[in-house]
Amino acid sequence: MTKLESYFGSIGKTTHQFLIEVAKIWQLVTDFFYWAILAPFKGKKSFGREAFSRQLFFMGNESLFIVALVSASVGAVLALQAAYQLKEFGALMYTGALVSVSMARELGPIITAIVIAGRVGASITAELGTMKVQEEVDALVTMGIPPIPFLVVPRILAIIIMLPSLTVLSYAIGILGGYLISTTSLGIGSEVYLQESFDALVAKDLMTGLAKSFVFSLLVGFIAIYTGLGVRGGAEGVGRATTQSVVASIIAIIVADGICTAVFYYVFP
Amino acid sequence: MSEPVIEIRNVQKWFGERRVLTGVNVDVHEGETLVIMGGSGCGKSTLLRAIIGLMHPEEGSIKIFGQDMASATDDEKNEIRKKFGMLFQGSALFNSLTVGENVALPLKEHTDLDDDIINIIVKVKLELVGLTGFESLKPFEISGGMKKRVALARAIALDPKIVFYDEPGAGLDPITASVIDHLIMDLSKKLKMTSVVVTHEMTSAFRIADRIIVLQQGKVVAEGGPEAIRKSDHPYVKQFIHGEIDGPISFKESRDSYLKGIFGDEEI
Repeated sequence: MTKLESYFGSIGKTTHQFLIEVAKIWQLVTDFFYWAILAPFKGKKSFGREAFSRQLFFMGNESLFIVALVSASVGAVLALQAAYQLKEFGALMYTGALVSVSMARELGPIITAIVIAGRVGASITAELGTMKVQEEVDALVTMGIPPIPFLVVPRILAIIIMLPSLTVLSYAIGILGGYLISTTSLGIGSEVYLQESFDALVAKDLMTGLAKSFVFSLLVGFIAIYTGLGVRGGAEGVGRATTQSVVASIIAIIVADGICTAVFYYVFP
Repeated sequence: MSEPVIEIRNVQKWFGERRVLTGVNVDVHEGETLVIMGGSGCGKSTLLRAIIGLMHPEEGSIKIFGQDMASATDDEKNEIRKKFGMLFQGSALFNSLTVGENVALPLKEHTDLDDDIINIIVKVKLELVGLTGFESLKPFEISGGMKKRVALARAIALDPKIVFYDEPGAGLDPITASVIDHLIMDLSKKLKMTSVVVTHEMTSAFRIADRIIVLQQGKVVAEGGPEAIRKSDHPYVKQFIHGEIDGPISFKESRDSYLKGIFGDEEI
């Protein structure tokens, strides 16, 4: 009887904690929209522009090179793998089309989001976590400076702008990577490759990718900030939260990618 | 005596099952330096966090300048918060900002002053704590004692009426700690500020206090001037002042918690 009770008790407890967690995340999201959109109209001081531009610069600068490197590699690998199969059907010239469409619809957004989750998401969590542990967040509150517009809004806005921008860069560099490998070692003519790439690529592909990367940017941003501000227990807590933030972001990105792809496939065919 | 600037009435605070504050009543009067003293875990930090509104007590009321913190809206709370400053135990300076930017932050956020004027105010505040010419250094480039002073300069940036100090001497050597103590006394006198200091350090407490309250297990057990407290015959206060192991507070918490520690939460 006691075993049974404690079993259901623990289920109840877990559910209860989960609901509290969900409520807290919801609170963070609504607070963000209040301060980012409504507050400026109510004559309140909005978020710091200075902090916003610093975050933009930091995120872009921090990830530019890695996103470029990874996208070029993925573009090249994609071209090689596609050529391996297409050669059988004598359709080698369609390599360019395959690379450009899959970079735009799928790989560009997801690779960029994962790189950003590891690079920017982790550093946001670690920074906010350290601030929390060292009472800096409490200090802000006691100075009468609400932490949401001061810490959260600039970071989320910066990631919302930076992730899609880097995704566009990732498209271009991925296609370039495929182009270089195809023209130098697969024997596809430069003009044929480029023509096939851009003939196959329609605006909808690009928009699909950008919509996805917008969703990913919200996920990475809110997960990183939520785990960062929830840190407890000193330096160890910061380390744990940083790992959690990256793992949770990557899982969320992949699951959301599945959902988004399904939505675009069935709802907007 | 004048009207109290802070009025604490029957404040109770639970952490889960444990009651940390068990009905605290304190008045803080304008211009005085009140020291809240007590051992680790007596609830003094919790009381401070409740006063500044970082934590909400389950019962009782806390009024600052006659306004209740618990029922105030966020905007009202932020207005009250502009009227007091707080020195955190670990200084809580923003590591990404320079010393000057740290002190300037409340001014930038709460006033429409020009940058030139803010810079002058920052210089004046840093001068008051004896740190001239340190504006462009980052917090990690200065010592712990200097950090405390910068944090103090930041706490008084908006010319607050009340300043709260959480363990001002923690982690400092005795000389630096006494420098900080003298700064507290000096600033309270010069700027006519009310000070509320939370500490467990006896020397510092007797040096700066106009009035001392002693907290034990979430309750005020003694209250009075430094001399009265020193001569107090309350057993806990005596034990605390002389730092004895034996007394009303025993070395072990209790038998139950001891057994719990060994056998876990199972029923004994």
